[in-house]
Amino acid sequence: MAEFLQYSITGVTVGMVYALIGLSFALIWKSSGVANLALGGLVLIFSWIFYGVLVQVGLPLWLSLIIVIIIALAFGWLIERFCLRPLIAQPILSLISVTLGLEFFLEGLAVFIWPEMVAGLPPLFPTEPFKIGPAVVSQAYVWAAVISLILFGILTLYFRYHKMGIAMRATADDQLAVQASGIPVTSIFSTSWMFACVVSAIAGILISSISGVTYGLVETGLKSFSVVILGGLDSFIGCIVAGPIIGLAENLGSGWLTPIVGWGGLKDVIPFIIIIIVLFIKPYGLFGEVRIERI
Amino acid sequence: MGLPCGTYNYSYAKDMAILRTKTHWALFIALLVLVFTAPLYWNNYLLGVANLIGITLIAAVGLNILLGYCGQLSIGHASFIAVGAYTAAVLTGTFELPFLVGLICAGLMAGLVGLIFGIPSLKVKGFYLGIATIAAQFIIIWFINHLSITGGFTGIAVPYASIGGFVFDTEASQFYLIMTIAVLCVFLAKNLARTRIGRAFVAIRDNDLAAEVMGINLFYYKLLAFFIGCFLAGIAGSLLAHWIGFMNAEQFSIAESILYIGMVIIGGMGTALGPILGVIFIRLLQQGVMFIAPMLESAFPALPAGFASGVSPMFFGVVIVLFLVLEPRGLAHRWMLFKAAYRLWPFSY
Repeated sequence: MAEFLQYSITGVTVGMVYALIGLSFALIWKSSGVANLALGGLVLIFSWIFYGVLVQVGLPLWLSLIIVIIIALAFGWLIERFCLRPLIAQPILSLISVTLGLEFFLEGLAVFIWPEMVAGLPPLFPTEPFKIGPAVVSQAYVWAAVISLILFGILTLYFRYHKMGIAMRATADDQLAVQASGIPVTSIFSTSWMFACVVSAIAGILISSISGVTYGLVETGLKSFSVVILGGLDSFIGCIVAGPIIGLAENLGSGWLTPIVGWGGLKDVIPFIIIIIVLFIKPYGLFGEVRIERI
Repeated sequence: MGLPCGTYNYSYAKDMAILRTKTHWALFIALLVLVFTAPLYWNNYLLGVANLIGITLIAAVGLNILLGYCGQLSIGHASFIAVGAYTAAVLTGTFELPFLVGLICAGLMAGLVGLIFGIPSLKVKGFYLGIATIAAQFIIIWFINHLSITGGFTGIAVPYASIGGFVFDTEASQFYLIMTIAVLCVFLAKNLARTRIGRAFVAIRDNDLAAEVMGINLFYYKLLAFFIGCFLAGIAGSLLAHWIGFMNAEQFSIAESILYIGMVIIGGMGTALGPILGVIFIRLLQQGVMFIAPMLESAFPALPAGFASGVSPMFFGVVIVLFLVLEPRGLAHRWMLFKAAYRLWPFSY
């Protein structure tokens, strides 16, 4: 039972961070219909930049956070302006491939500047663990989950009530109508990319504060696709529900199955198996909008 | 269109011929002679690069059928190559079956695995399919690393290919083996695109709903595309296994899969020439980067330490993005433009 509780709590909290990365994906998908496969690369590069600013340059925490967020905004703007905007109205295959190229570039950039492969961040949160019944959870996990929830709340409110958020939803619905009502669609696209980069930067910082900055972050980014697939691509609530489910499945599955089948590393493959299962059964996810195609 | 001046079609067979004029034939035979006499005057390094290009070409032709003709995105192509490579390695190494049996089984095995992961393509497309194939990449590599028959993380040794009593143990002999199969595959792919199957693929790529309304069986043709694409990947994998002589799952990372997509895009999706140009372009660039990066590193000590390993993915990322933005139809389209221009030269049109 203690084991079960331990796995569940770790699973849910890690899942919240996956949900955060999923949010970053859903942001772009919701407003521009672009599938951002460069998530892993973005999470990786921002974590390294944070490491560079905080540890290598030695700035205080608040200042390095601000700097990383500014850099993330700049990255988002640049990516949208120079990779995605020339491809507006191109087939979906090109849009996907361009983010793959981007992923390649970002990974290369990270190796280029930080060849050391592994680095530890100083603890950002108090190290004293929480005790919930017999289970022990480090505070970093809990804080990560709380921050994810807060960001989720902010984004949901923003999309529901803020002028720009409403414009973003409208863009996803009908670009032509949005343009006709005087909203520059291109600026909507840049804004969504900038937001998404900031969200993935925060997610990257949270994860790497838990497990250090490694190239495994790319795989974490890819794993979080299982969150968006399970939750439905265009749904924030889907992300926040599916994230903990994936985290739970990953931790409970590997915790219980590893002694039975005797294979290590089940954790890394469970989210991908979930992707395949979901695509077989309910391809548009739990909360996703089912698209009806017309010729 | 795009024919030399004075070429007329007197029969349907003539209209459909790949090689139309005597010049075509002469150039084609000259190219074949040039390729197949290459081992006489190339050293082992050049032959090694050529072998890698040949193997990559077979896999890229497969991906081109899947992605370029049928429009089904696969971001897990390297893992299908891995399935073929390991099938061949286990069959010829552990069970000591003949090379040709291993080759065919590798193709079939990869094709079958491709079918399994291709099934989601019936329900979803575009991004969803891309994610399904990314999942395939991770699941397949994970299984390879954890099954005992594949040697796990340590890898598995593979014997040289041999047909009858002849062992392909030099770069030159392997060059003949690989190039023969590569030429056959390119020829088959070129012809496949001109048949009923190929036209069905193109119809599915352009609009699968419309294709279904016209009476194309989506279930059959989409899975057929996956089977053919992955079959070729498996063949390439088998050759790769025998060529390298040692298999380790690290050779089949997701980066390699992305690179394959890059090759097809850079070459030109949905053309017969595309994969050839794309593969040569990317593999030669890789060799160039591998050659130049250490030199630059020693010449300029101020460069960051990760220069040699980081510069090539950065470079390829930029190349893929640039091609998509500036020339989405790839090198094959450039070649067509060039051909049209020199046929009319010195007139502008």
